[in-house]
Amino acid sequence: MSSPKRTLFIFLFVAPAFIILLGVVVYPFVYNVVLSFSNMNLRHLKDWHLVGGRQYMKVFTEPTEPNFYIVFLKTVIWTTVNIFFHVVIGVFLALLLNRKIKGKSVYRTLLILPWAIPQYIVALTWRGMFNYEYGSINLVLTKYLNLPAVEWLKSPTEAFLACILTNVWLGFPFMMVVALGALQSIPHELYEAADIDGASWYHKLKNITIPLIRPVMIPAITLGIVWTFNNLNIVWLVSNTGEPSDQTHILVSFVYKAAFNLYRYGYAAALSMIIFAILLILSLTFARRAKVTEGAY
Amino acid sequence: MINHKQKRLYLNILTHAVLAIFALIAIYPILQIVTVSLRPSDKLLSTSLEIIPEGATLRSYVNLFTTQPFLRWMRNSAIISLTVTVTGVVLASMSGYAFSRFNFMGKKFGMMSLLITQMFPATMLLLPLYIMLIYLGLINTYLGIIITYTATALPFCIWTMKGYYDTIPASLEEAARIDGCNQFQAFYLVILPLAAPALVITGLFSFMTAWAEYLVAAQILQDTQLWTLPLGLKSFESNMSTEWGLYGAASLIVMIPVVVLFLLLSRWLVSGLTLGSVKG
Amino acid sequence: MKQLPAIAAVVALVLAGCAARSVDLRRIVIWHQMRVDERVILESQLARYMKLHPDIRVEAVYKETETLRSDFIIGAIARQGPDLVYGPSDQIGPFQVMDIIAPLEPYLDSGWIASINPKGLTWYKGHLYQVADKLGNHLTLVYNKKLITHPPATDSELIAAGQRLTDRRTGQYGLVWNYTEPFFFIPFMSGFGGWVMDDEGHPTLNSAGTINGLKFVRDLRDKYHIIPAEADYNAADALFKDGRAAMIVNGDWSWSGYKKAGIDIGIAPLPVITSTGLPCAPMISPKGFSLNANVPPEKIPLIIDLLKFLMEGENQLETAKILNTMPTLKALYDDPFIRNDEILINSQKQIERGRPMPVVPELRAIWDAMRPSYQAVLGGAKTPEEAAEDMQILAIKKIEEMNE
Repeated sequence: MSSPKRTLFIFLFVAPAFIILLGVVVYPFVYNVVLSFSNMNLRHLKDWHLVGGRQYMKVFTEPTEPNFYIVFLKTVIWTTVNIFFHVVIGVFLALLLNRKIKGKSVYRTLLILPWAIPQYIVALTWRGMFNYEYGSINLVLTKYLNLPAVEWLKSPTEAFLACILTNVWLGFPFMMVVALGALQSIPHELYEAADIDGASWYHKLKNITIPLIRPVMIPAITLGIVWTFNNLNIVWLVSNTGEPSDQTHILVSFVYKAAFNLYRYGYAAALSMIIFAILLILSLTFARRAKVTEGAY
Repeated sequence: MINHKQKRLYLNILTHAVLAIFALIAIYPILQIVTVSLRPSDKLLSTSLEIIPEGATLRSYVNLFTTQPFLRWMRNSAIISLTVTVTGVVLASMSGYAFSRFNFMGKKFGMMSLLITQMFPATMLLLPLYIMLIYLGLINTYLGIIITYTATALPFCIWTMKGYYDTIPASLEEAARIDGCNQFQAFYLVILPLAAPALVITGLFSFMTAWAEYLVAAQILQDTQLWTLPLGLKSFESNMSTEWGLYGAASLIVMIPVVVLFLLLSRWLVSGLTLGSVKG
Repeated sequence: MKQLPAIAAVVALVLAGCAARSVDLRRIVIWHQMRVDERVILESQLARYMKLHPDIRVEAVYKETETLRSDFIIGAIARQGPDLVYGPSDQIGPFQVMDIIAPLEPYLDSGWIASINPKGLTWYKGHLYQVADKLGNHLTLVYNKKLITHPPATDSELIAAGQRLTDRRTGQYGLVWNYTEPFFFIPFMSGFGGWVMDDEGHPTLNSAGTINGLKFVRDLRDKYHIIPAEADYNAADALFKDGRAAMIVNGDWSWSGYKKAGIDIGIAPLPVITSTGLPCAPMISPKGFSLNANVPPEKIPLIIDLLKFLMEGENQLETAKILNTMPTLKALYDDPFIRNDEILINSQKQIERGRPMPVVPELRAIWDAMRPSYQAVLGGAKTPEEAAEDMQILAIKKIEEMNE
């Protein structure tokens, strides 16, 4: 294809998407940057003005309950544990569903339901299942497994674990669907050739399946990391806005509470910028190491 | 010694068992919501574990359709979600293709920006988004919300399409060109059908982005005539007086189109489309 | 492409849905946080109004309380938003400081104002910012008549009744309530002589009232065992609706839900604390309408007309009959229904013993300051004395942060 024709082709294929994408995102982002240097709050709502880096100073120096770095650490744990299980369970189930068995559709449909159900009611249902006396989880633990009941929602570690369990349940279907799609790109002939060579299932998994689903899984995993890092909803609902005692927080729920409850919009903007910067550094490092923008072949 | 056939049978049974266990875990909380929707009083939790509650009634379902504009919400959501799905799939399939097949100035930046746009915590973006859309006259319009949702779904969709295209060898286009196709025809007639599984992922994701989204919809759609399902559901919610019967019933019905769409699209989650066409 | 006509059709359909809306003097928008049964009444009253005024259209939009607050603020920043906003009185303080609601007294004659119960009029900094049609939002003692016929009047009676009615084997509790939330702790703080703030809006959390109130709640669970180990709002609600709790502390918004669930409920004022002689005083708050500061002056008379209609005796009485809320029109207090309805009589008794909820913005900071320490006491991590001290320190700090 000749060069000007090629350029036109690329432009026509790429431009519409990016015009929409950047159009929607750029103005809000810039607005937020400006706000983070302002004093917009209860007393200065309509007449706010710029005050330099004061909000950023506050983020770094103001002691908060809980401590910023602990919340950051919790966010990292939250993200890694969630993504790990989402991907492992999702790929595992996709592999099973890819086999020739009867009733595949039934299983696929049932397994996708956690993604389809509205989050508010199901998060609160899970919260109910963690109730110490009446929740199903403790009932199963005590009656069927003879283990002691856990005070899920009253202790910080257990409450955090409860949020993670709920989010794992919510998140694996998505990875499963992506993995199912990814598996379709692997030609049968590769597996057949490996079988002829007498390869074990582990060998096939490691050398054929995993490398070849990578190109399609990588976007889901990378974006999954970003989305999970910023996923306010589940932690908020399952822990009832951070209980016990504001211990169950990740960075975004922490921002929400510290800033929005008290109308400290300038502060919230600065805190959001810092979360963004942290995420940017973490993801870019991950992306560079995993060479995410390159192809598979 | 177990022979091959027995080994197969054994593995199949094991597969079924594992899938069944996971399916059970997947549906248990949802069964609880079924219970909530059938309970005569508005109760989210219960001290009993029975699935069919005492005095079970379909009243919530009836009320949902007779006392609430549920069908209107569903119609609005359907229009918006299907449009976002189509727009998302079309734009992503094209952008992803360009990113996969060509090297051009700004390519790396483009790919990175897809990632970066997703990183900002959404809560802070609502206010400026609202201001911007007012300025553009897009508040209370389908166009405004469709554009916003498309922008939200695009990064994942573009990237996934690119990833899938990357697994399709470029030699196929060369073969097509030799047969007389131009670049667009090679894309549209040869490569795109092969990328069907990725289109499924992209389509389903775009649909879900629009179907289940609440925050942005609440900002943009102020007019109750334009309300989508998430806004409608939220109206049953009250800090301490949620109408759990209605909410449960609505939640279950809201799931149905997603499941139907998934079943329809699953037909294209088939493999073996790639090779066999190019050997060596 | 073959799909082009289909796509074009969809685009056309979409654009058809984008009706441009200009500023409309004949269209009044109310944002409210009324739950479903309240909403139904509002809609029917609005329908009557629109019949009387065929050229006016009124739209009521529901938003959940917190969302209502933040959306109203966002709307105001963009110079948009509804004409009237309806909610409890504690949103008045922040809205006034942000200068997004307008005073109402310039548009209402003094005679009309005098006809409304003063508790239903929210004056702040010398101006009338909210006119309420419902008075209450208060916690009361709700009891299941099948399990207990005479509600306790003092704290010792409460404990005795609770112990009598709690049976761990059958899973029945004497008393349940959302006791982990500070709003639901207030009555016990006030019963022991404490309160959240003084008249200037400074927090007064490190008082004996707080400490003794904390000890009391903790003892109910750990010493007398009459409340469950863990109960948030939904859990307590479920237990009471299941008939497994004899008494619950809940507000007037919940009563119709319990009746609907088939529980034969009685309402009683919260008990008196014998050691102080003080009643447990919940916060009471009117729920009413405020005017958006962005409304153009020419539209205001129309809005006031609507407001007065909704406040009329006939409408308030209708609401009171269906929802068991207290109306604010003085003339209605002589109405036979209001005087004779058992629930309203008891509700009124509780209101008389209650204290008005502060409207100043500082209240929010106080809630946020109370919550962590309060829950720490319940979790055993702090003593009541430590908690009271910590609450006070944190409240002062948060108020400073908010007011920078």
